[in-house]
Amino acid sequence: MSGTPTLALAAEAVELINPRTIQICLVFSALLFSIGLFGFLTRRNMIVMFLCTELMFQGVALAMVTFSRMHLDISGQVFVIFILTVAAAEAALALGLVVLLYRRRTTLDVGAWSELKEC
Amino acid sequence: MEMVEKLTLITPDILLFVGAVVVAVLGLSGSRTIRQAVPLITGLFLIGSVVVTQFVYADPAALESSGLLFPKIGGYVKSLTGVVGLGLVALGTGTVDRAYERAVASGSAAFDPLRVVRGEYHAFLLLSLAGVMLVCNATDLIWLFLALELSVLPTYVMVALSRNNRRANESAIKYFFLGAMSTALFLYGFAMLYGATGSLNFIEIRDVLATQAAGEAGIAPFAVVGMGLALLGIFFKISAVPMHVYAPDVYEGASNPMTGFLSIVPKIAGFVAIIVLCGTFGWAGREQITAAGTTMVQEGLPAPISAMLWMVAVLTMTLGNIGALLQKSIKRLVAYSGITHSGYMLIGIVAGTENGTDALLFYLAAYSLGNLALFGVLAGLTRMGQDIESFDDLAGLWRTRPRMATMMALAAGSFVGMPPLIGFWGKLMVFIAGVESGHVVLVCVAAVNSAISSWYYLHLAGVPVVRMSTPRSESVTNGPRMAPRLVAVICGVGLLVVPVFTTPLYEFARTSMRYGELEEPAARSVASPTTPGRELDQG
Amino acid sequence: MLSPTLATLMTSAGESIPGGVTPIPEAAREESLAWAGLILLFPAVSAIICGLCAACRVRNRLPGWTTVIALASSFVVVCLLYGQHQAGQPTVIHLFDWINFSWGDGTFESVRANFALYVDDLSIFWMLFVTGLGTCIAFYATEYMDDDRGKGYSRFFAAMSIFLLAMCSLVLGDNLVMLYLGWEGVGLASYLLISYYYTRQSAIDAGKKAFIMNRIGDLGLAVGIWLIWYNFGTLEYDGLFQALNVYLPIADAGNLPGTEIGQPQLGWSAYLIPWFLMVGAFGKSAQFPLMTWLPDAMEGPTPVSALIHAATMVTAGIYLIARTYPIFWLEMEAGGYALATVGWIGGFTALLAATIALKQYDMKRVLAYSTLSQLGYMFMGLGVVQTFGACFHVYTHAFFKALLFLCSGTIMHGLAGQLDVRRISGLRMAKGWKVVTWCMFVGGLWLAAFPFTAGFFSKDEILAQAFVQKGPGYRALGWIGIVTAGLTAYYTFRVWFRVFGGRTLRIEPGPEHHGDPSSFHPHPPGWRMKSILILLTIGCFAAISTGYWGIGHWIKGMVDHSSAAWGMPLHWEEGDIPFFGGDPHWTMYFVSGTFGLIGLAFAAYFHLINRRSAERLDELFKRNFITNLIPRTLERKWYLDEVYNALVRIPTYLSAKFFYLFDRLVIDGLLVGGIARIPMFLGRVFQPLQGGALQGYATTMAGGVTLVVVWMIWVFLQKGGG
Repeated sequence: MSGTPTLALAAEAVELINPRTIQICLVFSALLFSIGLFGFLTRRNMIVMFLCTELMFQGVALAMVTFSRMHLDISGQVFVIFILTVAAAEAALALGLVVLLYRRRTTLDVGAWSELKEC
Repeated sequence: MEMVEKLTLITPDILLFVGAVVVAVLGLSGSRTIRQAVPLITGLFLIGSVVVTQFVYADPAALESSGLLFPKIGGYVKSLTGVVGLGLVALGTGTVDRAYERAVASGSAAFDPLRVVRGEYHAFLLLSLAGVMLVCNATDLIWLFLALELSVLPTYVMVALSRNNRRANESAIKYFFLGAMSTALFLYGFAMLYGATGSLNFIEIRDVLATQAAGEAGIAPFAVVGMGLALLGIFFKISAVPMHVYAPDVYEGASNPMTGFLSIVPKIAGFVAIIVLCGTFGWAGREQITAAGTTMVQEGLPAPISAMLWMVAVLTMTLGNIGALLQKSIKRLVAYSGITHSGYMLIGIVAGTENGTDALLFYLAAYSLGNLALFGVLAGLTRMGQDIESFDDLAGLWRTRPRMATMMALAAGSFVGMPPLIGFWGKLMVFIAGVESGHVVLVCVAAVNSAISSWYYLHLAGVPVVRMSTPRSESVTNGPRMAPRLVAVICGVGLLVVPVFTTPLYEFARTSMRYGELEEPAARSVASPTTPGRELDQG
Repeated sequence: MLSPTLATLMTSAGESIPGGVTPIPEAAREESLAWAGLILLFPAVSAIICGLCAACRVRNRLPGWTTVIALASSFVVVCLLYGQHQAGQPTVIHLFDWINFSWGDGTFESVRANFALYVDDLSIFWMLFVTGLGTCIAFYATEYMDDDRGKGYSRFFAAMSIFLLAMCSLVLGDNLVMLYLGWEGVGLASYLLISYYYTRQSAIDAGKKAFIMNRIGDLGLAVGIWLIWYNFGTLEYDGLFQALNVYLPIADAGNLPGTEIGQPQLGWSAYLIPWFLMVGAFGKSAQFPLMTWLPDAMEGPTPVSALIHAATMVTAGIYLIARTYPIFWLEMEAGGYALATVGWIGGFTALLAATIALKQYDMKRVLAYSTLSQLGYMFMGLGVVQTFGACFHVYTHAFFKALLFLCSGTIMHGLAGQLDVRRISGLRMAKGWKVVTWCMFVGGLWLAAFPFTAGFFSKDEILAQAFVQKGPGYRALGWIGIVTAGLTAYYTFRVWFRVFGGRTLRIEPGPEHHGDPSSFHPHPPGWRMKSILILLTIGCFAAISTGYWGIGHWIKGMVDHSSAAWGMPLHWEEGDIPFFGGDPHWTMYFVSGTFGLIGLAFAAYFHLINRRSAERLDELFKRNFITNLIPRTLERKWYLDEVYNALVRIPTYLSAKFFYLFDRLVIDGLLVGGIARIPMFLGRVFQPLQGGALQGYATTMAGGVTLVVVWMIWVFLQKGGG
């Protein structure tokens, strides 16, 4: 399994990895994710909601980077690049959709779109 | 892990990518003939990829160096996806931008490449199917994530494109936002899994988890929770509880062919992803050779994951059923029915044995066939240019269109699990796998749910026969294209005929899950697990 | 003395397993004979073509000829297969996998029912006359059904092909699931063909009746099959017989399998299997009490009556019992009465049906009751352990009964549907009816078991064994058979003398003739019908030699080299009872022959020589209320339909009413109002979650995920991650 390149770090670099730092980074990533989720659940503007999902993605990305550092394994950082790429693609899609919806109802309020429901 | 050989296995997927590009370009053509040939070309690419799949997966060198957890699973899943895709292309013919095409033909509108979406629709369809196929080839979490996204991103656009009205827009926005949330969820799970195991590669993850499980401390809690979150995020794709709430609304808003697509394709992707993810824990009783070369017996799913899946399976089938009981709209009903079937299929995962996943793969085929037949009927009929959606539209269908009513009844019968039809065999196998692994209570719940579900499925089969036609239902006519009805008839007959080939199909599913293990038929008895799964009924 | 069955066995079966039981040989697996699958393929293809013809409303004779050619091809393949077949060596020809599950290596850890053929002497024997007669009768039908071209012609032949396909699956299948599939298939074909004239209410009713009565039998068969799997762990004949090879010697030694330690275990439910199979057989072969559907089935076209309701389908019950005979034998060795019951029900039905046939006026109905009666004989033969006699009688009966039906069919066809024996007389004098007259005469002789006809020999085989075999009241059963033989001769020739005899030609046209009755002229059968009648007559003659003399013990060899005779002990006690001072097998010829001749003489006197006397006798009976009961009861078929009505339909109707009320009050009122509302209620509880707001959904999802994760962590803390 040569597919996962490891960081060839100098011995002194290894010492720099402080468990405390990692903890802080992880808590921060969880916070980012939670803030994103909270915003997603409460904000009514569709663009803000979308930004909140981006926030969740960034939380994940931060966790990935942290773990990558923790394991001295670069693949986690590769993952982050892909997360960013996909997030960009989703952004393009989201903006397209939001514009489409805005044209129909001239509002960005997501509450305006609740026609489909249990009758 | 030679790159070239690794690429061999994704030749069918690459073919679909090429198809997507070709179709997208041709769809912009000014010539009406070429534009109308787009579905045909899409179909040809799908046929090509199914054919290529058969050859590619017969190549031992490629399988040997694939570095996959289940090297051969793609053989089955890609064939299934391709065949289902063919049906879905046929369902969608003629429904996309029909009004605009007519306007262009009559000269009341000028041809504008930007307004023609048929090419895009089919390109997105191919891309999404390619995503499903790529899920089978995921060697690591990155690939799995990208493949899942590829399978789902195009569908957001397709839902929005499928109908030019507010409902389609609403369903697209709901689908998109909730989908993005679920993506974030399973990504977070992936991150935790990565944190706990230190690798993104499935085989490495498997080895690390096996080592952890064998150790004193057991599997790291981070790994369990991460896996749980990852699975919960992916449950969105199979519309399992608690990620199922979007399904009825989104299905209702999309056009009928698109609903057919949504009810089948994401499920295939989701279940394959779940199989692969759970596969990192190994299947109970299966012998495994680690990368280090030592042999160890896999323990199967850890208790928390198994308990979580158990609970989700029970809730999914029950809540799906309960929701379906109240429906007047066929499409919402199908959404809930799809949720219920996801619950049944989850039994195959909960079983935690290879027999379970075999049964699940078989059930996927049975479910897809039934859904294609049902949506063939729904997409093949129209009421004053609109999709038919309500039970009221079906009243008296038996007298006006006996063939369609028969196909609908066959599909409903297959969903209930009536004996000669394929749905019965799917359920039987899943239930057997469940009982075998000791999940008797779960199977009993499923059986009770099955019985409850006959209530609304019989309604579906019965309304066309029993209820007298009304002026509303009399205005239901055949749709402009024959293809969906042809799909309905072929799949309806298939529901009757395929059971004859139950064994070969099941064998196909079996061998696809057991590469390198089932090369000689004598090894068949390996199937029975030595340790029954954990009894969770008290938990 | 030893039964003839065993005499052959003693010489042919080389080795025997300890305990003195003839072993059932293990089947050879022969992949190279896969072409035998063509036997099933031809009718299947023909059914599809005929179905397409029906869909496309084809007006020419294509479906008819397709069917004839397909069935003839099947027959040829059967003959070729017979050429390849080695006597006494069953062969399993695997075609393709169908149901093939296993969850272990053990006996009870698999369910296997593949598309495979079990070829042994019995199945080949059955296939020979099924496909052979099928071809003949399809050929006959091409002319008979000619008037229906463009209407039901394609439908008719499609159903015929389906019937043959199902019958082949029933007979040739190597497992009980295929048998069941065929069993239901022939039932379906029979239903379709009985209700062929679907504009007639009586035909619809008859079809429904046949369908429902058969379902009762099928339930028995299904339970029987399930019990076989439950007890022996296999559905394939080969596996079943090999399992029985273990149990039979133990039973023969006087022990119940499973009663002593160290013996193979066999549950009590194994002894119930024959009883359930029996119910299935009685349903399909129309034995008491599931018999009344068969006479009504004569509503179908006559070729159908000949093929399905006389020659082939109704013998499926005999085939089932002959095929699973070792199980019956095991039950008998264990002290059970399943075989005795089969024999007695058969004898009872034989007598009952014969008495009813005495007073019927509809020619086809007389023949239908005679079929019941003859089937009764066959079951009697199975019951008194004379499987060869039973199968021989199946064979001869197939020929002469098909011949008789086809003859009556020509009459019905030529006389605009006239079948009433009181309205036709002296038909032999009409122009062009010579062949029919004498063919029917031959058929009548064979049915009446006139000395030295095939029917005579086959019937005597059974009757004699009743006096030889030890069993509950078998001697009385034998006498019932003898009396029935006399009645059979009487009612058969009553029809023939009435219709063809008489001094003058007198015909009243039937209900299908519209016009002046005086201008009516019967139109004689064409060459196709006649050629088949002549062919079947030749077959009747040939049956004499194939059965007993001449070619030698051909059929006997066939039956004795199959499960109908295997598994029996080499020695068993027989009541060595002299019958009229001699060996019953010899003296029976004279006794039953005499009874037959007496019946024939009565028929000749009352219906040919002095017809007035029959009417006078009738009036004599009618003068008195008590004596009047006899002819009236017979005419009304012992009031069987009325009794069933009272016993089954009225209680069913009443209970239906009761359950309707129960349903309305308790189910709808309490359950639907209560329990069944629970899901609905829950649905409404969960409905607010589907309020349409996107963020509501998101909250539900997030909440759900939180709950699930909490649940997971809880389990983790309880049980750990392992």
